[in-house]
Amino acid sequence: MNEVAGRAAQRVARMIGAAACLLSGFAALAAERPVDPLNSPGWSTIHGRYFKDQTVVFDERVKVMAPSAAENPLDVPVQIDADGLADVEQVLVVADLNPIQKILSYEPTRALPSLSFRFKVEQSTPIRAAMRTKDGVWHVGGVWLSAAGGGCTTPSHGSADPLWQTHLNEVSGRLWPKADSNTQRLRLRVVHPMDTGLASGIPAFYIDRLVISDAQGEQIARLNTYEPISENPVLSFDLKGSGPVRITGGDIQGNKIAAEIRP
Amino acid sequence: MNHKIERTSIARAVGLIGLAAAASALPAVAAVPVTDAMIANDQNTPNDVLTVGMGFSGQRFSTSTQINSDTVVDLVPAWSFSMGGEKQRGQETQALVHDGKIFITGSYSRLWALDQKTGAKLWSYEHRLPEGIVPCCDVVNRGAALYDNLVIFGTLDAKLVALDQTTGKVVWTETIADFKGGYSYTAAPLIVKGKLITGVSGGEFGVVGRVEARDAKTGKMVWTRPTVEGHMGYLNGKENGVSGKTNATWPGDLWKTGGAATWLGCTYGADTNQIYCGTGNPAPWNAFTRPGDNLYSTSTVAINADTGKIEWSYQGTPNDHWDFDGVNEFISFDMKKDGKTVKAGAKADRNGFFYVLNRTDGKLLSASPFVTKQTWASGVDLKTGRPIESNNRPGNPGSGEKGSAVFAAPSFLGGKNWMPMAYSGQTGLFYVPANEWGMDIWNEPITYKKGAAYLGAGFTIKPLYDDYIGALRAMDPATGKVVWEYKNPAPLWGGVMTTAGNLVFTGTPEGFLKAFDAKTGKELWKFQTGSGVVGQPTTWEMDGEQYIGVASGWGGAVPLWGGEVAKKVKDISQGGSFWVFKLHKSGKATVAQN
Repeated sequence: MNEVAGRAAQRVARMIGAAACLLSGFAALAAERPVDPLNSPGWSTIHGRYFKDQTVVFDERVKVMAPSAAENPLDVPVQIDADGLADVEQVLVVADLNPIQKILSYEPTRALPSLSFRFKVEQSTPIRAAMRTKDGVWHVGGVWLSAAGGGCTTPSHGSADPLWQTHLNEVSGRLWPKADSNTQRLRLRVVHPMDTGLASGIPAFYIDRLVISDAQGEQIARLNTYEPISENPVLSFDLKGSGPVRITGGDIQGNKIAAEIRP
Repeated sequence: MNHKIERTSIARAVGLIGLAAAASALPAVAAVPVTDAMIANDQNTPNDVLTVGMGFSGQRFSTSTQINSDTVVDLVPAWSFSMGGEKQRGQETQALVHDGKIFITGSYSRLWALDQKTGAKLWSYEHRLPEGIVPCCDVVNRGAALYDNLVIFGTLDAKLVALDQTTGKVVWTETIADFKGGYSYTAAPLIVKGKLITGVSGGEFGVVGRVEARDAKTGKMVWTRPTVEGHMGYLNGKENGVSGKTNATWPGDLWKTGGAATWLGCTYGADTNQIYCGTGNPAPWNAFTRPGDNLYSTSTVAINADTGKIEWSYQGTPNDHWDFDGVNEFISFDMKKDGKTVKAGAKADRNGFFYVLNRTDGKLLSASPFVTKQTWASGVDLKTGRPIESNNRPGNPGSGEKGSAVFAAPSFLGGKNWMPMAYSGQTGLFYVPANEWGMDIWNEPITYKKGAAYLGAGFTIKPLYDDYIGALRAMDPATGKVVWEYKNPAPLWGGVMTTAGNLVFTGTPEGFLKAFDAKTGKELWKFQTGSGVVGQPTTWEMDGEQYIGVASGWGGAVPLWGGEVAKKVKDISQGGSFWVFKLHKSGKATVAQN
């Protein structure tokens, strides 16, 4: 289907080629897959799955910071940031060559397009952050992570560590106000085994949504997480404004998350 | 798929291909909601199966006649579904059929939605179980409940999960009890007037039995009724009276960990508005620790569906000493006797008696043995309703290590265990899956420890006869006589179903699903499913054809309590599949197009 759609897109691209030539900027790129600076064998799949028929540019302002080699494939720390990129509405983080590529999707409604998390890596792979700005353009940045592998098919620590059985979805966190920029950093941890479903005999079981809201219940940011996020997720956000925040969410088996964090 | 493909004008340009691609991703059409009226009429609608038990009263009787004692020889497989994985344990489910889908549950708290036409899997739910679960007797599940757009089932870590029938997404989840306290859940929930009725499992761990009613759409608790005397019940969050009278039939503090688990769920009498729940053994097994009748253990309890109060109870084994756990299903039926029709209900108890009660007030009408040997009682006094005991209790260990052993029959696995019997209004007979076995049992001193086995007894199990353990028996409730029987080498552990086609279906550990003539007991048909059948057969009609469905997959309590019985079952292959049958039609071969 990807192939068919790809061909269709090419055909359409030819059809509108003449018109596109008259336009400047991103429109001409709309249907085309830009050449991947990371030269990843997985880019065509990722492009077809998440960015088909959309405008994609590789943008150096989108930064993905990760160790060059994964010390622990179950727990690779990653930080993403986009200093200087305005009006980011959605952030998508994927690892091209993981068996489950999508790591998270983030809507920084009233937050900066920056985020830290840890994830499980199966083999060496690019990690990409794609940020969709208000004009509908995806700005993509990424790095290669080298890994010995096995992070997604190894049972999570949860299967050996019974902590989650008694503390499932418990949240601990802290807020650090930054007076100079009128933002505050939120760092939190949720107890959850985050099972991928790929380890034999252990069904998929992971947190799929977290909403950060202010004291009035207004959404500050929304995060959708997927199987590759590490066990007992540790997440950092840069939120606009100040004051206590509320965390709500849940996992795919209906268990709820609710917590409040004060500065 | 969350990605948005309609961002640019190009999406419109690729309209044709876009449509084709979108077809598979169209938002799923909402299921036809299951209503209270549909559930109340389930036994009369052959096109669906909305309840485990095939109707409120649990008669497991179908009006369908296409498959009958003449045509059943042509019954052949239509399709089979593998439950997969490496988790091949006992499969005790009954299928539910609604709106083009079949819902089955499996071992280790799994649930599948299958396409009713093709048997293809539509979606599955696998519950993430903690490692510390303590189900006493295999990791089984006995089926789900349907209500509105939901399919609801319970899990081994004592939770309830309500899923959207169409998408398989979790709509709500609630915790019944703390699994670390020995609680689990294996029964099929019952829906009564928008309420989800559930019990608890864990009678071997000193839990407190109770029946609960929740709003089926939200999971919110409506009432809870403990089945151990002395505990408080609640209605809409307010105290609703203690069950019985504290310490009336329990000494000291023993009632606080009194067992009486409601682990097999309940049936409902629409005309009495009573929910009938069987209750398990009192805890611990060693009865010397708890002199008294120990209400409401080993009983059938009738609870008002609206008020959550006990209206009557009948106890089969007062001060139980043999694990004659009385959870067995209570099936309402109208009994014709001496020219009159009696509002009756029947129960084939673990203790070997087939009880017929008046279902409006619980008065005992008759108690007849359905097994060949009962060492513990010679009969039941119809005036008092109490058993006439025959001095068969194991000795008191006192402070010693072990009391004197006795041989008792039936064994602790019961003249009949969990596997539900069926009733045919057409033949007027109950079809009881019985087992003939006994045990040596003795007492040991015991103290309660949270989450640990709470027995205070040791036991072995042995068959009574060399050639058979299982016996499917047709009982006439009006006379208490066995009309026919079918003997099976291994113990019977699967449910029974009967149909207006003069048939009785049940499975065997040897792997066969069998059909018998309902009037004579003659075996008419059998099919080898590849593993032991301990599931509950059911039937439905689709596009003018009648189908029979049953789960195959050996397990349950029998393989865990081997003893001398192990010889009959140790070579049975594990499996895990759901089989569907229909009558063979000759003519052009048809190949499914999808």
